[in-house]
Amino acid sequence: MGTEDPSRKNFPYRPAASPFSSPQSTMPFLSSPPVVGSQGPIGGSNSSSVRPSTTPASQTSPFISSRPAVGPEPSNFRPGPPVRSTTPFMNPSQPSYSQTPAGPFQRAPGQQFPSNTQVPPPRTSPMGQQASPMPTNHSAASYTSMPALQNPNYQSSAESSYFARPNLQQSSPSMRPYFAPGTQPNAAAQTAPVPSASFLNHQNNYVQPPPVAPTPFISPQHGYAPPPPGATLGPYSMDKIRAPSSTASLGPAQGLAEDFNSLSIGSVPGSFDPGLDSKALPRPLDGDLEPKSYAEMYPLNCNSRYLRLATSAIPNSQSLASRWHLPLGAVVCPLAEAPTGEEVPIVNFATTGIVRCKRCRTYINPYVTFTDGGRKWQCNICTLLNEVPGDYFAPLDAGGRRIDLDKRPELVKGSVEFVAPTEYMVRPPMPPLYFFLIDVSISAVRSGVIEVVAQTIKSCLDTLPGYPRTQIGFITFDSTIQFYNMKSSLTQPQMMVVSDLEDIFVPLPDDLLVNLSESRSVVDAFLDSLPSMFQDNVNVESAFGPALKAAYMIMNQLGGKLLIFQNTLPSLGVGRLRLRGDDLRAYGTDKEHALRTPEDPFYKQMAAEFTKYQIAVNIYAFSDKYTDIASIGTLAKYTGGQVYYYPNFQATIHKERLQHELARDLTRETAWEAVLRIRCGRGVRFTSYHGNFMLRSTDLLALPAVDCDKAYAMQLCLEETLLTTQTVYFQVALLYTSSSGERRIRVHTAAAPVVADLGEMYRQADTGAIISLLGRLAIEKSLTSKLEDARNSIQLRIVKALKEYRNLYAVQHRVGSRMIYPESLKFLPLYGLALYKSTALRGGYADAQLDERCAAGFTMMALPVKKLLKLLYPNLIRIDECLLKADALESTWKKVPLAADSLDPTGLYVYDDGFRFVVWFGRQLLPDIARNLLGEDYTTDYSRVSLYEHDNAMSRKLMKILKTFRETDPSYYQLCHLVRQGEQPREGFFLLVNLVEDQVGGMNSYLDWILQIHRQIQQNA
Amino acid sequence: MAWDPIFWLIFFVMNIILIALTIYQIVCLSDLEADYLNPYDSSSRINSVVVPEMVVQGVLCALFLLTGNFYMFLLTLPNACYNARLFMKQQHLIDVTEVFRSLDAEKKYRLIKLAFYLVLFVVVLISSLICFIQPINSIE
Repeated sequence: MGTEDPSRKNFPYRPAASPFSSPQSTMPFLSSPPVVGSQGPIGGSNSSSVRPSTTPASQTSPFISSRPAVGPEPSNFRPGPPVRSTTPFMNPSQPSYSQTPAGPFQRAPGQQFPSNTQVPPPRTSPMGQQASPMPTNHSAASYTSMPALQNPNYQSSAESSYFARPNLQQSSPSMRPYFAPGTQPNAAAQTAPVPSASFLNHQNNYVQPPPVAPTPFISPQHGYAPPPPGATLGPYSMDKIRAPSSTASLGPAQGLAEDFNSLSIGSVPGSFDPGLDSKALPRPLDGDLEPKSYAEMYPLNCNSRYLRLATSAIPNSQSLASRWHLPLGAVVCPLAEAPTGEEVPIVNFATTGIVRCKRCRTYINPYVTFTDGGRKWQCNICTLLNEVPGDYFAPLDAGGRRIDLDKRPELVKGSVEFVAPTEYMVRPPMPPLYFFLIDVSISAVRSGVIEVVAQTIKSCLDTLPGYPRTQIGFITFDSTIQFYNMKSSLTQPQMMVVSDLEDIFVPLPDDLLVNLSESRSVVDAFLDSLPSMFQDNVNVESAFGPALKAAYMIMNQLGGKLLIFQNTLPSLGVGRLRLRGDDLRAYGTDKEHALRTPEDPFYKQMAAEFTKYQIAVNIYAFSDKYTDIASIGTLAKYTGGQVYYYPNFQATIHKERLQHELARDLTRETAWEAVLRIRCGRGVRFTSYHGNFMLRSTDLLALPAVDCDKAYAMQLCLEETLLTTQTVYFQVALLYTSSSGERRIRVHTAAAPVVADLGEMYRQADTGAIISLLGRLAIEKSLTSKLEDARNSIQLRIVKALKEYRNLYAVQHRVGSRMIYPESLKFLPLYGLALYKSTALRGGYADAQLDERCAAGFTMMALPVKKLLKLLYPNLIRIDECLLKADALESTWKKVPLAADSLDPTGLYVYDDGFRFVVWFGRQLLPDIARNLLGEDYTTDYSRVSLYEHDNAMSRKLMKILKTFRETDPSYYQLCHLVRQGEQPREGFFLLVNLVEDQVGGMNSYLDWILQIHRQIQQNA
Repeated sequence: MAWDPIFWLIFFVMNIILIALTIYQIVCLSDLEADYLNPYDSSSRINSVVVPEMVVQGVLCALFLLTGNFYMFLLTLPNACYNARLFMKQQHLIDVTEVFRSLDAEKKYRLIKLAFYLVLFVVVLISSLICFIQPINSIE
């Protein structure tokens, strides 16, 4: 597979629209290139600000200024403060251009460097010469080595760099022959007057080993401008940086610098000629790659762990959006864990009140602009001019920035947390409240759940958030419901049994829910005696529905978190469920989806009621038999909760996992009684939301409890046929009560450029966000139609998207039978395949237990992007060498492709999908290793062996490695399963079925999948 | 027949009830969309009138048959069957948890129903007028 130079992407192939045609389009992007520190945006904002006021000729000026070498010229550029103020973009925090003449532009070229290497020799370049509609030779190549002087980055290659820049305008005062090496036909066309002498140069240019890619400059000019040609901006350059010089490895024929990556598929469609080497297929062995260019373009944006857009280039028209066949939207994880040092700053506007836009209620953020000497601010989302409250006033400096910027995190950080005053409360902030609903029927007793749960809760009592306000309560149930009076004056809890299931009532008005710190001794006594209380229980029934209602009656005054430990299919009272089981005959028919939806509307109604009263439900299901997770999980789905499923729970095996996950659930930082809303600029609207929550109004997500392990996805659409703005802003606001009892608003703000070019949208795509959206959509679809339809919808969208992309370039390029795709989406087909094979969507009846499938579906609907990607394409790491070497470093771990081929019989591998580990022992693994790790059990059946630390260095090392893996992903506890090569069915069940790239059970291998997609793309292409 | 005017009057009143109930549901949905109502109130209000509406419609349909107005019966029969089907599948009520997702479809469904009832209204109105006028004519 050849990765062709992504850098080139830019110019050549776009439809040749004149950059001039839309002068406005410009600049936001400029800044994008990697700027130093916070200055980056400056360029952008300045330039944009400049332009409105400049004469047409002056459009060029940004360029000029951009070139570092120009020396005096930059001064042209300097925007007067008034101008700045007009620009919505401007960020007060940024120094004005004039202050930093060396600004972002220069940087841009510096960054570009890596890409240069990729610029292909002209002959090969289809774009410039053959395919591109316009001749390139107009472009003048400038020999100026200007940037070198000022830009340190540049220097290394400065000599060789003949700087090419597209010269967009002949009018440009500089008139320097810039030249875009063949890459900029459009620009070139316009530069007609410019002497074309440069062509040669540009040839030279190419020849030079590190030729400079002109792109960055160009980009500012056309950048993001509506007319397609310009679209190449800074961002691209980033692209290149990310995947620099993959060209180096290309065969001669592919040494083209192209705007896309491609896979050479030698075969004619239909045949299975091994024209494609499976080793060359792209694999995310480095984990999730986020588009960095975007973050660097807008350094004021919130971090991508909070908000990820499916593409960071928003289409400017509905027709363009309709050609983007992938989901367009965002994935939000409002409370994502921030590494130390990057915590979200807390802002308290004690006296002022929170500063918000009067019209659209946007919170003040780094993208607002202050005008009128600091007395007014313009909302970046609805452009309304608001008064600055008296207490919040600060004068502006000469550059138009507020002088108190360094003391105002909300004006420099994309993520902040405001302390909300009483207007944001409908009632006093609730205390953290944990209520436990524990099944004590015989199967729970036998599996040992009760004991583990009681111990874990007890061990977490000291670390529950919100001391000393935390409230706690318990109900147990089998065929009756047992309430516990935990009044602090008692020494032992009092049990009250209610057996009237038809008309459930609460036997005590209060004291069923008590303050933990006051009743601590009673709670301790209860938890100590709980396991023994029911150890002889032989009740097989479960009055789950009535117990749920009872819990609801107790909790609905305050809200809180309800943890349900459920072992037996609900059999009594309301909400009893049939053993509808996994009906083989239903698969493949129209009734299939009914198995995955709640059977009894009771559960949906209860979920709605729970949400209304701010109760979040977490389900822990343990049964070894069918428990109808589809119905019961609904409770978690609509209350912002989570489903933990431990099929066939045995305390001896699964104890640690339950302990860890329950402890995390109880002690992680939780936001209570929250609502989440995402606002965006005019012309764009969020239309649908996907995840575990309930909508309280068209765009308000009700989240009784939120924590760092929950993410929400949303899709957006364009309301207007044409967007006239250059940037769209998004603001996520989560209003919640913290465990400490403070009402807070967490605000994440992000900006994204509006583009007119489809290629740009693809270049700025974020595979992680797209896959997260695609997965959620497919899982939702599996609730209303057949699994097969849900899977096909994923495939269809991938095919359509890649086909559209191919059409974009196929005309100018002889792409032949190659499969082409943008660098940013190189993993899309693989993750699509992984979704196809994920537990929630794979196969049919036999491929996954119904409960397991539903539980996986609920989990995937809530997972943040990174964890989802890890689940879809887990890590497979060979560790035997590392164990043998005494001083092997962690960095030597190498992830290998998820295929049976990569499993070497002499090796020891760890498979880690974030939810469990599978340790695979090769058949020819040195017996010493196995003996050291497993003790004398190493020859027996591994299903009966568990991994624990033995007294030798190797075993300790393995445990250390596993511990390190676990620490990277603390949301779940990865239980270790041991598997020996060839030990069926264990090996197949744990590992082989999860090797995404292999052909398993009638599902495609990666290679076949690519070929299949490729064929579909070529059909009526 | 002497009873005819009375029957037509009853049909007329029932039809007005149907129209009113449908409009009420549409208003609730619009309010929900405009955020004047929360989903809980909105769906409980709508759900409280769904079954009455179906009953009225079913009775109307049956009365048409019993009074021998076969064409009218045939006109309302499809609607009655559709309602019966929804009821059997337990899909007649609005699902509060997913109300926003189905908002557009529900609204469209009710608008179509409203249009149907209005057509029915016109037909009933004309028929009853004819029915009232006929005796007068015959007297003359």
